[in-house]
Amino acid sequence: MLLKLKADLKNLSQIRDFVADTAADLGVAPGSLEDLRLAVDEAVTNIITHGYGGPGDIELELGVEASDLFVRIRDHAESFDPSLAQTTDLRPPGERDNPGGYGLFLMRSVMDEIAHRKIETGNELTMIKRDVVLNKIH
Amino acid sequence: MSEDLQIGVSKEEGDKAVTVMRLKGSLDANTQSELEAKAREAIDSGAEFLLLDMSGVDYLGSAGMRAIHAITNLLSPDDPSMRSAKLKILNPSSAAAKVFKTLGFDSFIDVHQSVDEAIASL
Repeated sequence: MLLKLKADLKNLSQIRDFVADTAADLGVAPGSLEDLRLAVDEAVTNIITHGYGGPGDIELELGVEASDLFVRIRDHAESFDPSLAQTTDLRPPGERDNPGGYGLFLMRSVMDEIAHRKIETGNELTMIKRDVVLNKIH
Repeated sequence: MSEDLQIGVSKEEGDKAVTVMRLKGSLDANTQSELEAKAREAIDSGAEFLLLDMSGVDYLGSAGMRAIHAITNLLSPDDPSMRSAKLKILNPSSAAAKVFKTLGFDSFIDVHQSVDEAIASL
């Protein structure tokens, strides 16, 4: 399932709903849908805020391989490898003023694999959640 | 205000200046500024303590957590040790509680089941 859309902070909720609905159609266990919404929201938010610096075109692809679900997001922004982003500072608010890295930390905590590669037209981020597909419909 | 997040604000009567903010909807990169603005408004109007009712939050992402972090700074800009003490979370939804816990916020911001319980802890 491939969706081409203008990624904008204003349509994050629609993107999350599309991901959850599509994943459910692909046979993903209900208990994993929230994790997928979270990972895709964080990835797309990163693309909008750090990649494009505003709204921009993305391609969002969901698919199944054996019992794994993969999400692939392509953009046309400057190269941005999330794995090179700053490390997460989880100290309490009293000990730091500017929190950072929460998004990537959440993505890593709910997905089993995250890989970035630079493509001719921009970036491709692939996220995999393993053993979540209950029944292969497609 | 976007349709994605509704914020109801009420002041509690009592000895302490406590404001309750009831959130309904999504707390993401699109709506985080609305929460921060409402909190700033409440603090400018005299609120010393904020209770965030998150029972109606159906989505919480990192942007929402950054907003919560920013609000703790607003509540106690001069005394960092008091920042977490002036903000309490009420009844987080399962989606909100999971993110809260994953990022370790539950170890320094109290979570309560009722307004009375939260106020008694202040």
